[in-house]
Amino acid sequence: MEASPDPRTVRAVYGATVAGTVLWLAAILLAPWLAGRGADGAARIVYEVFAPVCHQDPQRCFALGGHPLAVCGRCLGIYAGFAAGLILYPFVRGFSRLALPRARVFVLSILPLALDGVAGVLGLWRSPIEVRFLTGLAWGAILPLYFVTGVADLVLTRRRRRSERGLEKSRGPT
Amino acid sequence: MNKPKPEYLRPALIAGAVAGLLSGLPIIGAGNCLCCLWIVGGAAIAAKLLASQTPGLLTAGDGAIVGALTGIVAAVVDTLVKLPLQRYNLELARRILDRFSEFGTDIPSGVEGWLDLGSGSLSPGWLLLGLFFSAAVYAVMGALGGTIGVSLFGRKAIPPTPSAPPAAPQGPSDAA
Repeated sequence: MEASPDPRTVRAVYGATVAGTVLWLAAILLAPWLAGRGADGAARIVYEVFAPVCHQDPQRCFALGGHPLAVCGRCLGIYAGFAAGLILYPFVRGFSRLALPRARVFVLSILPLALDGVAGVLGLWRSPIEVRFLTGLAWGAILPLYFVTGVADLVLTRRRRRSERGLEKSRGPT
Repeated sequence: MNKPKPEYLRPALIAGAVAGLLSGLPIIGAGNCLCCLWIVGGAAIAAKLLASQTPGLLTAGDGAIVGALTGIVAAVVDTLVKLPLQRYNLELARRILDRFSEFGTDIPSGVEGWLDLGSGSLSPGWLLLGLFFSAAVYAVMGALGGTIGVSLFGRKAIPPTPSAPPAAPQGPSDAA
């Protein structure tokens, strides 16, 4: 699936995604920082924000100043991988082309995380936090290729449909 | 040539209801701790449903739209499912604490505060705030899942164009 989109739109979506990712990663670090400064109430709110998307088991979280980060090592790997993928995005795809990765790229990148996760759930092994982080990193790194492509295409599709509707209105009923 | 707009709502409602139910249930809901498994997976399934009911090829944008809608539906269902369970869990925790205090066991500091916070989160204001936040997060995760779904299920073999009918045989020229 390839298209030649308006590069300005893709660049705008890319910029918004970078901004959102920086905020998200900052919030992950903010929770232990607030807890370390004794602002327990504010820290609790930030921890609660991440509770729906992570188990936050302190034994599986990296720590900052003796307090666990707001997400576990694997989730941190996914978000850090997403940020790394965003840095690479302009070099891999550029802004004048929209294309989704092939299915085998998807399978290869999710395989380490899936194997590690399933084996952990089945009790076959308990991987160290560094391995969890790395498997998350591998998976997270390809996600911007989906996210930026999907959202940019969504914006372009909506814009195209709006202009088509406008054109039909201007033509009037036949 | 205009591509007809796919019907996003039906796949989003079906997949969102299932994803929200799985997210809201105790223990099973922990699947979301793995990169929002139920939401991303649900959105990918929504993209598959959309692909099966749409005659043409789906674009990445179609996947993002149906995925985001699936995430929003899942957030609403998740909140509705968790609501009665949260009351039940808090009530259960209070009873256990009361039983502990009957036996003179020390309650760890902060547990009462946690229960109060839990009760506070049942107020309509907190509920709406939580719903708004989870809808925003789930919509983003859903858009990602929907786009992944399109890349996996949205490609269809383009049906061969019917070959042009053979040209009518030219009759012999009158000159022959």
